[in-house]
Amino acid sequence: MLNFLKQVGDYAKETAQAAKFIGQGLSVTFDHMKRRPVTVQYPYEKLIPSERYRGRIHFEFDKCISCEVCVRVCPINLPVVDWEFNRETKKKTLNHYSIDFGVCIFCGNCVEYCPTNCLSMTEEYELASYDRHNLNYDNVALGRLPYKVTNDPMVTPMREFGYLPKGVMDPHDLPAGTQRAGRLPKDILAELETQKAKEDAKKASVEAAE
Amino acid sequence: MNPGIDLQGSFVRALIDLGLPSGVAKTVWLPLPMLLMLVVATVSIFICVWLERKISAGAQQRIGPEYVGPIGALQAVADGVKLIFKADITPAKSDPWLFAIGPAIVVIPVFLSFLIVPFGQNLVITDLGIGIFLWIALSSIAPIGFLMAGYSSNNKYSLLGGLRAAAQSISYEIPLALSVLAVVLMTNGLSTIDIVNQQSGYGFLGWNIWRQPVGFVIFWISALAECERLPFDLPEAEEELVAGYQTEYTGMKFGLFYVGSYVNLMLSALIVSVLYLGGWSFPIPVETITGLLGVSESAPVVQLLSASLGIVMTLIKAYLLVFLTILLRWTVPRVRIDQLLDLGWKFLLPVSLVNLLLTAGLKLTFPFAFGG
Repeated sequence: MLNFLKQVGDYAKETAQAAKFIGQGLSVTFDHMKRRPVTVQYPYEKLIPSERYRGRIHFEFDKCISCEVCVRVCPINLPVVDWEFNRETKKKTLNHYSIDFGVCIFCGNCVEYCPTNCLSMTEEYELASYDRHNLNYDNVALGRLPYKVTNDPMVTPMREFGYLPKGVMDPHDLPAGTQRAGRLPKDILAELETQKAKEDAKKASVEAAE
Repeated sequence: MNPGIDLQGSFVRALIDLGLPSGVAKTVWLPLPMLLMLVVATVSIFICVWLERKISAGAQQRIGPEYVGPIGALQAVADGVKLIFKADITPAKSDPWLFAIGPAIVVIPVFLSFLIVPFGQNLVITDLGIGIFLWIALSSIAPIGFLMAGYSSNNKYSLLGGLRAAAQSISYEIPLALSVLAVVLMTNGLSTIDIVNQQSGYGFLGWNIWRQPVGFVIFWISALAECERLPFDLPEAEEELVAGYQTEYTGMKFGLFYVGSYVNLMLSALIVSVLYLGGWSFPIPVETITGLLGVSESAPVVQLLSASLGIVMTLIKAYLLVFLTILLRWTVPRVRIDQLLDLGWKFLLPVSLVNLLLTAGLKLTFPFAFGG
């Protein structure tokens, strides 16, 4: 009898606990109702891609020396470099260059290793097309510059978290001229340059004194 | 007791005064409340769908529908129009008759149950003597429809979904009926009007939820399971069964299942508010308010105001429960089929039996508080 009562008691305790947990869960979901939506209304509003965004690759035909480093560092040897050896100048001439973005994983190894910096990452990400063969970009398509989100009159550009002032989570209705958290790269660069110039001047004055 | 406004009586009298015989006048009246109820049920689908989408969006920090109609209120209309224009496909080697009848059998009883939902003393289609029992009887027709839909689709997922739906509906009907029985025991009658009147004595303190807290919880859980709402939506669990018995359905037949589920949700919320939350009664009794203000209860303006207040109160209570359901949907994970049946047979059934016995005992010991 006592055993049975204990069982009933345990069962009741478990039930009360389950009800408590469901109540806690409900309070969490209820709390979310009053938070502001994080939605970016995509075709009308777009996030500004970050500085290191790895989007569609840009290729500059004239800079390329057909060294094929991009092919070697690519995880799947994706870039197609079509060149001929010119016996008169003893140099390679590039005929065609193409990357298939249907296969590319946008790892950026080719950009990293290109000795002449003829490859670069852009902020373009809207590559959708009706035919996968359209994703195979040749050197002309790769040479096109992407359209910037901030220049598009149809689009309201939205800042990503990295561009927002400290503590601000919402890119809507920011007052004009608000700065992001931290310092801008160009300010840091300017400061480094003045510092370097100062050190150089000091060194020069020391040398002159000697 | 305040008799409230009698729409039927005044309408029939007006027609007789116009020179119609009383039989014809009553026949003219008959379809009017039914049509009104159909409209109310259909409009409630739109409201429920809108609430569902907006509250779900709120719980997930999204915006939800915005462009279809004002603040996205016509999203359900857009969905319905799309479904109407879709090709109506009957799968190969299926049973075309059962396949076509299935959704109708699911939907019709749900709409029929609105017969007994009261919005005021006289604002009900029929004050049946069997009242709430009619709803229990009609709600057990739906699993037959699910089973027909699942069986006739010639698809193993549909069949499993249909079987699950039937098993779930049957096993949760018992605790549902037992907890209704406890309320009926206190009312000494099955009529929904009597059930509300029994609660209307002391404002919100007289509501059945205080005398039947366990019954309320059991009824609510079982009603969620009957409506196949999350966390009990495993007949249509997409991860396991594609879409259960709905898998092979397209077009308006598929839409009928959705209509059925939303109307059923609304109906369950209304029934809970009638059984446990005092139906149309205001948290403070209308008689007390009129007494304090010093106006006569039978004045036409007061009658009109209290009738509209009753309708609003019923709907507010029902929509609060709908809100709770939608919030529960995003809080609680789906249960497994064995957990579902465990909960139904091993927990809800014994607890509701104990609740019924307790109510009977309390009725014998405290007849003044438990309707002796």
